[in-house]
Amino acid sequence: MSKTHTRREVLGHAARGTALAGLGGLTGLLWLKANATFAWSINAQRCINSRLGAVGVDVCERCSTECVLALSAVRAVNEFKSCGRCYVCPAYFKITSAVGPDGLPTEKVCPRDAIKREAIGWIDPDDPANNFYDYTIDETLCNGCGRCVLECKEPAGLGSIRLEVRHDTCLDCNRCAIAQACPEDAFDRPEPA
Amino acid sequence: MPRCASLGTVLPRVAGPGLLLVLVLFGVSGPAAAQEHVEYERPVDVAPTEDTIGEGYVTPEVQRPRPRAAAWQIADVVLLAAALGVAAWLAIWRRQRGWLVALTTACLLYFGFYREGCVCPIGSTQNVAVALVDHTYAVPHYVIALFVLPLVAALFFGRVFCAGVCPLGAIQELMVLKPVEVPRRLDKALGWLKWIYLGTALYYAVLPAIERDFVICRFDPFVGLFRFTGAAWLLMVGGAFLVVGIFVGRPYCRWLCPYGALLSAFSRYAWRPFSITPSRELDCGLCQSACPYGAIEERRAVRTSCFACGRCYRSCPVHHAETPESVVPAAELAGRPPEAAP
Amino acid sequence: MKYQPAHTIGGRGSAPDQFARALRGVALDGAGRLYAVGDSAVKVFDADDALARQWPTDRPGECVAVDRSGRVWVGEREQVEIFDSQGGLTDTWRDPGQLGLVTAIGFAGSDVFLADATARWVRRYDQGGRLLNNIGDRHRKGGFHIPNGVVDFAVDDEGILHVANPGMHRVERYSPDGTLLGRFGRFDGRDPEGFPGCCNPTNLTVDDQGRVIVSEKAGPRVKVYDPEGQLLEVVADDVFDPTAKNMDLVVDSRGRIFVADTATLEIRVFEPTGSEATA
Repeated sequence: MSKTHTRREVLGHAARGTALAGLGGLTGLLWLKANATFAWSINAQRCINSRLGAVGVDVCERCSTECVLALSAVRAVNEFKSCGRCYVCPAYFKITSAVGPDGLPTEKVCPRDAIKREAIGWIDPDDPANNFYDYTIDETLCNGCGRCVLECKEPAGLGSIRLEVRHDTCLDCNRCAIAQACPEDAFDRPEPA
Repeated sequence: MPRCASLGTVLPRVAGPGLLLVLVLFGVSGPAAAQEHVEYERPVDVAPTEDTIGEGYVTPEVQRPRPRAAAWQIADVVLLAAALGVAAWLAIWRRQRGWLVALTTACLLYFGFYREGCVCPIGSTQNVAVALVDHTYAVPHYVIALFVLPLVAALFFGRVFCAGVCPLGAIQELMVLKPVEVPRRLDKALGWLKWIYLGTALYYAVLPAIERDFVICRFDPFVGLFRFTGAAWLLMVGGAFLVVGIFVGRPYCRWLCPYGALLSAFSRYAWRPFSITPSRELDCGLCQSACPYGAIEERRAVRTSCFACGRCYRSCPVHHAETPESVVPAAELAGRPPEAAP
Repeated sequence: MKYQPAHTIGGRGSAPDQFARALRGVALDGAGRLYAVGDSAVKVFDADDALARQWPTDRPGECVAVDRSGRVWVGEREQVEIFDSQGGLTDTWRDPGQLGLVTAIGFAGSDVFLADATARWVRRYDQGGRLLNNIGDRHRKGGFHIPNGVVDFAVDDEGILHVANPGMHRVERYSPDGTLLGRFGRFDGRDPEGFPGCCNPTNLTVDDQGRVIVSEKAGPRVKVYDPEGQLLEVVADDVFDPTAKNMDLVVDSRGRIFVADTATLEIRVFEPTGSEATA
């Protein structure tokens, strides 16, 4: 190779150097405010199904209808630590439906029958109202429609059920169809706490 | 009117940085309005405890799968960098197509079908744009790396990302079976579309959060194919791109890919781009008809549009002469499509 | 007997006769003055609803009661403050390790009953503050089932305790020594005779004829039951803020019902109409 540089080569070096410096500057700028992860999550304080004070609203089902997966990556999660274990759970029973011979509502809230109700602890053989009940959501059936979340909300319930993103099934779409459709801007990729 | 005329000449020069400045100011001055929440106090912890429930009851664990671990994200970046390096080595030093096809297939399987597409350097353009204008928005380190690495590679070796790493390119690359030549002027004209697409995508990305949209990802025709799921019409568009791609080499990459626009701009100043040189190749012009992308002009590779696929080397009589068992007369080669060559 | 909403007292605001953050409990004294707690203060309204006086409490008040001698008892977290009728602090009861959040106070003879929402039962003390026994602690669920967070009770003229057990959709009657005397109530989300939702009634009071007046949450509603547990009247079901819960209530000798709307921080007054009211 010749040691003399043509004008074209010099210009090329200059342009390349400028572009590299620009990319470096951009990287530095973004690096300073970069966060650690990038995962979609639902802000329960914004989601209309769980937001306190939003009483008498219709259920928002976009988490179940908008996801690119056939079975949405969003599920309802019952945080057992804060569940009241009620005898008549408004998220399990459609509490305004007719009462059956057993004294319980005859219809359920979940359209996919994904919630299991089971008496726990010491079980009173004579009085079923005298028991605590666990309400377990079957992850393989739940599609995150949010009906139980809405019904569990204060003041009707304790708000122990929330919609959450299943990170094992979520495809981490860079443009999340649910986030785009969410009317409350509750679907976000926040910085990890 | 003279004022208008002077404005007309000045405007294009200041519009770019000016627009960016306006967007930055917007991002800084427009924090999301805090929503008012009704606060409740719960007087006592009302959920029954394990002791209250009794009979040895244990509160069930709530399964919460963690997001993809940081180690995997680092692995993605390392794999991307390695693939870029290998692609550059194969295309520029080894000058071999066979291994490039293997690399591109491997990247299609990993970045496409295994990682299912997201986040990719193409889409990351939008994240970077948002991060620049919205001070509340931060992208992870690995997304910054995904965006920057292929551009740095382009500054040194040209579009090696397109050559062997990009899964969107790969799925089209493998479909090029019966390429026809696109008239040069039409090719050039369609090439402007990717700049329009890039501009549109950036515009929608830097809108305030509530109106923001990532159109590149929204209309990505191939990600649905990687995932075997997605909107039916987009899957059909993806299929149509592949069918058209049998005859027209990599239509998305050549005319639509917004990241391709950036890569072509950066590869213009590449240090050691993909090249067809008289010293190593036969200066015969056979390669020009072998290139399905119209990226060889006057027997030289065009830096900005060359995908470094290596078909030109495969068609070159000199390269065939290097391997004695596959010597084919040049005249015979010229009549065949490149894939048909052994 | 029908009821109609008459007027409201208080409301959310910073004026002296309003509540800034919370309204938790209401009570009446023998002279018909209304006592309300919330915001770490006791506010006394005279018979024409004007603020007569107010004084601060040590901790946010959860409930209030006035005994026969006019002393004002305020239930708080882990303590009860006892004031004279002018607001002077005369005593503070604490029972470390025992007494939790006090959400209701009642009197019968020389007994003082404190509802303990932390333990989920009612504690019976003598006038000197000595614990005599607990009521509801023999419950199989370890106490009353209160997913709503408060235990509320009322003592009738015969000294019988009426305790709300919302998780079981029942009102239970106890003798002062803790013997279950009877109960009424069942779940029903349609028929107003029953108690709807997960946990109702949340609060109750008893009038001088032994009628039980209950408040419910989600949706907020006030109903009157006869002493046998038969529904007499739905007093109101659409006037409260839909987020209101644990609405304390009290009834005066004229049959007027005072309900604390915990969301709008208003005390809503319902007046009986018709022949029985004047009888």
